[in-house]
Amino acid sequence: MRLSLTAAYGGRYSRRLQHWWTALIVTSVACFAQRPQNPLAGDPDAIAGGGAAFRPYCTPCHGIRGEGGRGPDLTHGVYSAGDKDSDLFNVIAHGVPGTDMAGFASELSQQDIWRIVAFIRSLARHDVPAMPGNRAAGEKLFWGKGGCGACHAVNGKGGRLGPPLSRIGRERSLAFLRESVLTPNSDVKPQYATVTAVKRDGTKMVGIGSLDNFTVQITDAAGNDYSFERSDLASSTRELKSLMPDDYGRKLTAAEIDDLLAYLVSLRGAEAAR
Amino acid sequence: MKPAAVLATLTFAALAASTVTEQQLREAQSDSATWLTYGKNYLGWRYSNLSEINTKTVSRVAPRWIHQTGVSGAHEVTPLVFGGRMFLTGPSNNAYALDLLTGKEIWRYHQAPPLGLNMCCGEQNRGFAALGDKLFKVNIEATLVALDARSGTVLWERQMADHKKGYTATGAPLVVKNKVIAGMAGAEFGTRGFIDAYDASTGERVWRFNTIAAKGEPGGETWAGDSWQHGGGSTWTTGTYDPELNLIYWGTANPGPGMDGDVRAGDNLYTNCLVALDADTGKLKWYFQFTPHDTHDWDAVEDPVLIDMVFQGRKIKAVVQANRNGFFYALDRTNGQFLYAFPYTKITWATGIDAKGRPIVVPGLDPSESGTKVCPGLGGGHHWYPTAYSPQTQLVYFNSIDGCELFYRNKQEFHEGQWYQASTEAAIPSEPPTGTVLAMDPANGKARWRFEMVSPSGVGMLSTAGGLVFTGDGQGYLMALDAKTGKPLWHFQTGGEIKAPPITYLLNGKQQIAIAAGTSIMTFALMP
Repeated sequence: MRLSLTAAYGGRYSRRLQHWWTALIVTSVACFAQRPQNPLAGDPDAIAGGGAAFRPYCTPCHGIRGEGGRGPDLTHGVYSAGDKDSDLFNVIAHGVPGTDMAGFASELSQQDIWRIVAFIRSLARHDVPAMPGNRAAGEKLFWGKGGCGACHAVNGKGGRLGPPLSRIGRERSLAFLRESVLTPNSDVKPQYATVTAVKRDGTKMVGIGSLDNFTVQITDAAGNDYSFERSDLASSTRELKSLMPDDYGRKLTAAEIDDLLAYLVSLRGAEAAR
Repeated sequence: MKPAAVLATLTFAALAASTVTEQQLREAQSDSATWLTYGKNYLGWRYSNLSEINTKTVSRVAPRWIHQTGVSGAHEVTPLVFGGRMFLTGPSNNAYALDLLTGKEIWRYHQAPPLGLNMCCGEQNRGFAALGDKLFKVNIEATLVALDARSGTVLWERQMADHKKGYTATGAPLVVKNKVIAGMAGAEFGTRGFIDAYDASTGERVWRFNTIAAKGEPGGETWAGDSWQHGGGSTWTTGTYDPELNLIYWGTANPGPGMDGDVRAGDNLYTNCLVALDADTGKLKWYFQFTPHDTHDWDAVEDPVLIDMVFQGRKIKAVVQANRNGFFYALDRTNGQFLYAFPYTKITWATGIDAKGRPIVVPGLDPSESGTKVCPGLGGGHHWYPTAYSPQTQLVYFNSIDGCELFYRNKQEFHEGQWYQASTEAAIPSEPPTGTVLAMDPANGKARWRFEMVSPSGVGMLSTAGGLVFTGDGQGYLMALDAKTGKPLWHFQTGGEIKAPPITYLLNGKQQIAIAAGTSIMTFALMP
């Protein structure tokens, strides 16, 4: 039956987010989640059941084997929102505000959430890899030679043409960050796609923004904001292509890429501030 | 006439107006003032004879009122309109009766869903059916409820199946004669699908058609071993009805587990079928299976639209469906005979359909551990979003999803009430799907026009004698297209994602349009 249009720009997530409001369920789950340990920990049936539920709900972001992607890698056994079973339960039930992680309390039973926790624990190798690269050198590159700060903001400083990165180290796996630096077109969020509008007099505007069936909104590299009825324009298009340069693999050395990644991984937002 | 007699007459008129008779349902097409059943008429046309709003006047359409339900979640409802009221269902067991003039709430129904429900796709609901002074709706926990249309009071409630075993319900029921026909959801949880009929007066179950053939029954041989026991085949949308043939046409959903076909070798009847059932007995008259042994979740619950048409020089009582598997089908609805099937979107899983209607499947495209790219994706080429047919243009209108996805599979044991799909699908980030509104000529299966959209829309269609097709999109636009050409003639930003089909009716002799958008209900009419 499933209704998902997962490819339709996160349709699945928007649908799931709509169920946040189920306050009764959420409250009840929250109470249930007060127990610090998973009642199903280590149960082979629970792990298998959790794996089955993990597939449709979690793999779009965390990868088919929990290896991470747009969401964090879950195989290292280190979790950014807390390491207790109840922390994992709460993250699955309620999501993580300010990130792409939605809550699933209204769609998954408490038992299923505990099963998923059991499955996630079964994936953990507890082998936090040594992070190559030098964070300080990476920070210098970010604001200097790399030119990243022209488009990306960190803690309020920097540009706004690209996604803000203040807590990107919590939100993305290392592999995903590396891919995003080297091949920025491999997974572009729709709101960062390239939008182009051409007026009837030939004036062309290019930037990020939104294109719907009748209107277009653009923010260009100079920070100018535009909004048009598409019927008033000569043309208006959107390409699922990033405005970010795709030549960092040539512009920076392998060691410099590692430095830059070390800096990005260190950006952990409020958690770092605590 | 004495005042008392006048009062009695007026009271009688008001009562008569707030009830729905079997005859009215059979003649629903000719009553343009109301919207009495899910598909406007029994044939599923979603076509209105109204033409005050037409290609010339549509630019003057403007909002009349907005009713904010305060209920979050997807509103997918087809409203019913009669007796000066609009009757709607919302997600999570909510329902509302609104004053047609003002949008003011007359009554509200709510029943808290049980905690910890297992369901695939949220607590949505697609609408009421009506008969006499009763309204009928399913609740998410697989119950069927009858409400007093005047007060919203519960008159009776029946448990259709056990929600703890994964059974839920989301579709609008269909009233046929004195019966309420309703389907269920939950094919992802190892359930066994059915279509039920209940006595509208008492709520007693009159018949049940099991969509999964058991061992020893006709069709049972299409399931390996005992796999039929968890065979899925849910029935979560609303069927159509031919009063002359006394047949109900209802689509069935995917087999379970959805992605692992190895554990259920065979064609898996009657999943992914259109079944034609005797309305009085529920007995199977004929079936047609669109996707035998499906492994891509392409259930056949899209609207079966009943059309009389000329095909290859013959007059045919046809049923047409834009199936989720990417082909548009026409069948003879008297006997289920296959007429044709043509692709309306990009298809990689089959090279065509043979003369008997069976797909010519491309080998090697089943879901796999590492992911198999298949077009269309899990959402199919077209999903449940309501279809319309205009006898004026003789075109069928529906929206298509044009794209591909990766399909995964793993081994999974069955546990009662738990997710049993044996894996999943994933979008391909670099290949987002697009969508179109498509006008199909049912006489030959060819698209007459397409209105390209930036992304797929989950909004149903309304066609009118004003030469218009009303639909919407996920970005919140309600729009009117020229029914002959697809040219957009009017649009309005409602401010909420639209997932419901528009309807039309009369208020004080003036044509109105209504749509659920976001968490609100909006109506529109011509401004001077």
